[in-house]
Order: sequence, then structure tokens, then C-alpha cells
Amino acid sequence: MISDITIGQYYKGDSFVHKMDPRIKILITVIFIVMIFMCKNFLSLLLAGIFLVASIFASRVPFRMFFKSLKPIVPIVIFTAVINIFYIGGGKELLSLGFVSITSKGVFTAVFMAVRIVLLIMSSSILTYTTVPTMLTDAIERLLSPLKIFHIQVHTLAMMMTLALRFIPTLIEEIERIMNAQKARGADFENGSLTDRAKALVPVLIPLFVSAFRRAYELAFAMNCRCYTGGAGRTRMKQMKLHISDFAALFVFAAGFVGIILINKFFGVVI
Amino acid sequence: MSISILETKNLTHIYSKGTTSQVDAIRDVNLKIEKGELVGIIGHTGSGKSTLIQHFNGLLKGTSGTVLLDGKDIWEDKSKIRNVRFRVGICFQYPEYQLFEETVYKDIAFGPSNMKLSKDEIDRRVRNVIKFVGLDESYFEKSPFDLSGGEKRRVAIAGVMAMEPDVLILDEPCAGLDPKGRDTVLSLISQYRKSTGSTVLVVSHSMEDISKIATRVLVMNESKLAYYDTVDAVFSHSEELKSMGLNIPALTSLFLRLKEKGYNVNTNIYTLEKARDELLTLLKGGKSE
Repeated sequence: MISDITIGQYYKGDSFVHKMDPRIKILITVIFIVMIFMCKNFLSLLLAGIFLVASIFASRVPFRMFFKSLKPIVPIVIFTAVINIFYIGGGKELLSLGFVSITSKGVFTAVFMAVRIVLLIMSSSILTYTTVPTMLTDAIERLLSPLKIFHIQVHTLAMMMTLALRFIPTLIEEIERIMNAQKARGADFENGSLTDRAKALVPVLIPLFVSAFRRAYELAFAMNCRCYTGGAGRTRMKQMKLHISDFAALFVFAAGFVGIILINKFFGVVI
Repeated sequence: MSISILETKNLTHIYSKGTTSQVDAIRDVNLKIEKGELVGIIGHTGSGKSTLIQHFNGLLKGTSGTVLLDGKDIWEDKSKIRNVRFRVGICFQYPEYQLFEETVYKDIAFGPSNMKLSKDEIDRRVRNVIKFVGLDESYFEKSPFDLSGGEKRRVAIAGVMAMEPDVLILDEPCAGLDPKGRDTVLSLISQYRKSTGSTVLVVSHSMEDISKIATRVLVMNESKLAYYDTVDAVFSHSEELKSMGLNIPALTSLFLRLKEKGYNVNTNIYTLEKARDELLTLLKGGKSE
């Protein structure tokens, strides 16, 4: 069902990872993603995997939550793996059937790609599971604040992101409500051809857009009433402070990063 | 005995069963609704009234128990559930947010055209139903988005009435309307019932509204059916109703307080006429113990 969507889902807890500074968490996630794509052999991939599993344990978020976040991307993983097996040439030829040939390099690339995507999703899930969306956008705002010298309105962008995230559950609820109302009038979303089903969505989408615009106006009005004037001169109720533990975590991942470079250098390259 | 139009047997619905957020929305509801009645469903927020009505047209399926429409289980043939929705029409809370067509006419015709009726029949129904909601044919070519709040609400209700359901269910039809709009909607509902003879269920948390039009009252409290009886009988439990967090009509609470003060009066009073008669007998009989 629609309510199974897990975007920006927060898993309540008070582990070390939950308490970490969100800015550092974003930085570490970025470092980790670069790490995944720097891996050139299985040993370095294993090291990245160990870092991920250790982080999951530190976050105390149950593993099943991560499998849940992987479910929707399974088709993508399979698709990329299959494409890679058939289209990457080089290395030993393992199998050849007329115009298709499967090579060792193709298989390795397929496995690497699949593992990379899985690690990528899981690592970003750690970030969203352990950080409240508002903290996340706050942190992005702080991290992007140097862009202000190019006259980019970082605060406005961050505020837009916060609001967008905030309204995802509200709009999902709204969709369910409208769908129920139209079903009660005999609308049929489950049967019929593809075009029939696309047409059946019109009675849902129009009221949804109307109400989204209405909400936007109301929200803008409410923000005006509370004297919101944008980012200039705005202070924060919750100040972000860096602790020694934040630096320690950052250091550990930086060490891992160097480790992967070294492993690539000394243990040969597979892909 | 004739078969009730709508009946539930041990109907139970549990949300998110087996997880930590498990909630019993309704528990063990047994009720029979007879043809032609106007049943008021009351209960405070979260008592399960909205969940209950969604079972009547198969939008929700009970975790256990059955819903019978004319003595037949509505889930007997899953592929025919749409026919149940045509026979049991639900108009949800704030129905004006379901309007989507370019014109009022087309929007009201949405339900009937889903029923695959002939063009003439659809036209007859749309023209018929617009009168029920106190509007006229000059509205047909207007955009539903240009109407006032009260008019939108009435067009949306007309959209459900146009399916000519055997049972019409309205969820909080008066929510957010001013007192005048509320009285208009209430009298439209009871007029509709009188002229079509159909069964009507009205969900509300205002006992005052319900007492004006209902023949029977169904009270939900903490996911359970608390009372289901005639208006008089239910209002004789006014103290219990009060403890369920329900707002009893101002007149009833006046008589409750008279009783507290030691006057010998009935407390199931909710209309002006009854209140007058009760006060007159009290005054004639002098001060009693």
C-alpha cells in the first residue's frame, strides 16, 4: 500500500549514531559513498561492507528495517546486474552462445554494481533512519552556506526541502481519503486496461492538486502571520555543536578511505 | 420477521494486527438497521464511527465478523463489491474536496455513469437530485470550484444521492458549516428520506443535530457499540452519555441540573415542546422532593 513508502522515515532511538551531529553524518555518508565507488577489488569492497555493518550495529536500528528499504530497489539491482553481464567485455571468456558472450570482467562488474547499489541504499538509510528530517535539512543548510557568496539563497532552499518532507505524509493521507471518496462513488482503480486505470486517476489527482495549492496558500499565510521573512537575521532554537566523538567518527571513516586506496594499490585491480 | 437492510455480526476491525501499534478500531459490533430508518451514529473522536461505516460499503473488510446487506454477506463475491458501493452510498467528511469535474452536472453524473446507466437515466437522476439539495438547474454549467463552501458541500452530497443508493451514509455532513447551513443540510436529509423512502445513516458528534432528525440513535464508545435504540431511550441515559465525553443538548443538560437540585423531572428531554410540557407539569404539581 501507499503507506509502506519509507522515504525520510525516522527510527526513534538514542544510540551514538542518533546523537551525532547531522552535519558530520552527512559528510560521513558522502565519504562512504565515494569509498564504495573507489573499491577496485573484493578486499576493499569487504572493508566497505565491514564499515557499513559496524555503523548499523552502532545505530541499533534493527536489520529488518534495512531490508525493508532495499525491497523497492531489487528490480533495479537485478536489471543493472544483467545488463552488465552481457555488455561488459574483456577478461576471460566464460560462455559464448552465438552473439552473446559472457566474460569474467562482465560477471565481476555485475557483482560489484549490485553490491555497490545495495551498500549505497543501506548507507543512506542509516542517515535517514537516525536523523529527524528537520535536522537533516538544517544540516544541509549549514553545509551549503558557503554558497551564499554566489548569491544562492541556501536558507530558502532548505526551508523548501523541510516543507516538502513535512508534507509527504499529509499528502499520502489526503490521497487515501480522496481515493476512498471516489471509490464510494464507484470509481475503479484495480481493473481495466492501462489507459482505463490512468484515466481513473484523474478524479484523484485533480482534488489532490487543488488541496495541495490550498494548503500551500494557508501555510504561506500562517508563515506571514508569524512574521517569517526568510533567512536574514534568523537565529536557531537548537544550536548544533560538534563534539570530540563527532571528530572521532569522521577520523575513523577518513582512515577507512585511506585504507581502500592502499588496498587498491597493493592488492591488484579486478575491475 | 422481514430481513434487515443492513446487519453486522460480531464485526471487529483491528488496525496493524500483530505489531506494537495494534489498535482495536471496532470490537464485536452487532446491529440491525431496518429499511427506511434514519439512524444517527454518535460518538466522540476515535470511538470508531468512521471505521464502522467504511465496512458497510466494503471499503474496509473486518478482521472478523460479517456485514449483511439484505441478508447477504457483502464479501460473498469479491468481484461484486462495486455493486455493494452503488447500493450503500457513503458521503465522507468534507465531501467538497472530492469534486473534480469541469461542471457541476458532470460531477454529479460521475457516480451514475460509473454504474453504466443510460444517458437518459443519468440525466433524469442528475436533474432529480439537484432539487433534493436545494439548488437548481442554473448551477449545472458552473464550475464546482467557483461555488461557495456550502454549495460545494451540497453538490458533493448530490453526487452520492444520484446513485440512488438503498442506504445513504453521511459522515459529519454539517462539519464546518454555520448554524444556518447546518439546519439547511439537516432538513434536506430528512426531506430526502421522506420522499425516497431510503435508509439514511448520519454520523455526527453533535447530539443536538441528531436528535432533530433521527428515528434511532447508535452510540459508539471506545470501539464498542454502547447504545442502539430510539432517540428517547438513548437520551434517558444522558448521564452515561456525558461520561462518554459527548456533548448532550443544552435542554437535556438543563433538566439534568434540575434533577440534581432535587426536582422530580425526566431527563430524556431534547425538544422545546417536551421541555415546555415537562416544566408545566412540574409547576402545576408544585415543588416536589
